[in-house]
Amino acid sequence: MDTRQLILDTAVKIFSDHCDKALWDAAEQGEFAHALWQQVAENGFHLLGTDASGTDAADLFAFLKVCGRYAVPLPMAEVLLANVWLTQAGKTASALDSIGIASATGAVQVPWGRRATQVLAVSPDSHGIALLQLPAEIATGQNIAGEPVDSLTAAESGEMLQVTDSPYAQMALARVNLMAGGLQTALDLGLQFAQERSQFGRSISKFQAIQHSLAVVAAEVAAAQRAADAGVDALGSDRFVEEVAAAKARVGEAVGIVAEQVHQVHGAMGFTYEHRLHHFTRRLWSWRDDWGNEFYWQTKLGASLAGLGADQVWNYIATRA
Amino acid sequence: MLQFDRVSLSPESEALREQVREFVAAHRDHMPRPNSDFVTGHDAEFSQKLGQQGWIGMTWPAVYGGSDQSNFERLVVTEELLAAGAPVSAHWIADRQSGPLLLRFGSEAQREKYLPGITRGESYFSIGMSEPDTGSDLASVRTTAVAEGDAYRINGTKIWTTDAHRNHYIICLVRTEAPSENRHAGLSQIIVDLRNDGVKVRPIRNMAGGEDFNEVVFEDVLVPKDRIVGEPGNGWQQVTSELAYERSGPERFLSAFRVFVELVRICGDNPSPHQAAAIGRIAAHFMTLRRMSLSVAGMLEQGKDVVVEAALVKELGNNFEKVLPEIARLVVPDLCANDPARHKLFRETFSETLMLSPSFTLRGGTREILRGVIARGLGLR
Repeated sequence: MDTRQLILDTAVKIFSDHCDKALWDAAEQGEFAHALWQQVAENGFHLLGTDASGTDAADLFAFLKVCGRYAVPLPMAEVLLANVWLTQAGKTASALDSIGIASATGAVQVPWGRRATQVLAVSPDSHGIALLQLPAEIATGQNIAGEPVDSLTAAESGEMLQVTDSPYAQMALARVNLMAGGLQTALDLGLQFAQERSQFGRSISKFQAIQHSLAVVAAEVAAAQRAADAGVDALGSDRFVEEVAAAKARVGEAVGIVAEQVHQVHGAMGFTYEHRLHHFTRRLWSWRDDWGNEFYWQTKLGASLAGLGADQVWNYIATRA
Repeated sequence: MLQFDRVSLSPESEALREQVREFVAAHRDHMPRPNSDFVTGHDAEFSQKLGQQGWIGMTWPAVYGGSDQSNFERLVVTEELLAAGAPVSAHWIADRQSGPLLLRFGSEAQREKYLPGITRGESYFSIGMSEPDTGSDLASVRTTAVAEGDAYRINGTKIWTTDAHRNHYIICLVRTEAPSENRHAGLSQIIVDLRNDGVKVRPIRNMAGGEDFNEVVFEDVLVPKDRIVGEPGNGWQQVTSELAYERSGPERFLSAFRVFVELVRICGDNPSPHQAAAIGRIAAHFMTLRRMSLSVAGMLEQGKDVVVEAALVKELGNNFEKVLPEIARLVVPDLCANDPARHKLFRETFSETLMLSPSFTLRGGTREILRGVIARGLGLR
């Protein structure tokens, strides 16, 4: 078995043990998942993709897909990429590093910013990353999935790091992989519910209307997986930003369709707080807006293609497998 | 879980792509109005030229005129021709599914008789599946072929038969035994000569004004017994395997491609944000669909059963083909202006594609049938 599969299998084992309704509920109340974090750290997952770990960026993104599948209530994308970038710059990866989006006002929106040991601020269209001077002024907040996203304002500007592949696009790719994983679970939950729920004396999975809804969901989920993989394949290439643009745009579109259809299949049960489905759909809705929504990335990709001209668009599409 | 693995093309395949592009560039006179819909553009001369290049029946053994290449090489040729809007309708069905069907189930004599003509781009086939009372419910076909000495006597009607009025042969799904409890039993496939066996072919005008599909009537048509393909009674299994080829190719997502090309042309190199977003949205779909289609080609190459994956790519691809013109039209300025000269090429391509678009989710298996196939793959049926 190859290293990546071993990592992913271990992750699945740990996450399926820990990630349940109680943990997601607690996280939404602002409780940090200490036991889970300890497992993550003990297995060295927080250092995936760093040179010292002997794993690469593709391993890191494959791991994030698994995190999405289990709605892991930790800022794994931020921890992982922060550690990769910090170690590349010759700095020490501390435990819970995080990454936020810099805004024009100087505030940085940081997942779990309240617990972050080091914070990196990323801006669109820049390869530079600012290392925030801590402590910073913190205004706590949450995204629509109830995940902590805090607004940090530092008194002084910090040191700048440089990375090769656009850090903004790398964060978008992280969301793409989280979404690809979350979409898979949304499909699985829909299939499971349709087979368990009975109406009119038979399983609702036997109704053509339900079958067709889930077929649409399966098609979107399959497209999302393929689009996410293509984004990862483009790491280090001249088309990295554009491939991430295509992936984020395509997967974001899938989220809207899948969330809508899977909720419809679940009926009122899936609309209750008690059900687990919303822990996935609300995350998916949040993630599609993080680090550039569909319009943002469609515009980027479209502008590139327009620059090539009408008679080059096919070549562009057919160039990369 | 449905899996669409990464597939990359070999340098040889990419070199072939360049050859196809050069060929297309040298034959622009065959494409006065490029259209990426595989059904439009029946051009025997162009098909014969493709045959001379060795680009028809590419995956078949050389002994039948093929060139023993992989599904990937075939994919490169077909996607390049479709994207360019080349006229490929004449040989398309024979290359895609009639030939592979004969290779897999046909007799040696049939292969020797029919395949070389197909690879030369001279011999064209139609699909005889649908009937006036048989569409999605294919097993309900009523056309009969009754054994009579050395012949079969065929009676019945086939319909929506693309290019029957210009093609040479039709492979019909017929009942060779009376219906029984097992509705998939007693069906066979039989080759009929559209020009010499006495069938009546009546073109049916479509809503776009074109005459591509037909009604084909069989009244006591006698054909030699050796026209049966495979084992008599094995028709259902054969037809099902044929459908995987029919459903998985790039023609299932590229039909509206030229509308995209003309949209990009209109938008120019300084598009508005909404135009750029429309272009980017369409491109993101194409990039993903093409990769999924490549994955299916890879699975076909490995001899895997791709019935569900092919249905899934067709479902996504056909829906997208219909959405593409809808996305495009909203960002073309003054499309509504009553000036036919403005955006002429876009208008023509757009309106032609829009009028053909209802067929995209019907031909080769309706959306409803495909979703049923996917649902079965998901374990829901």
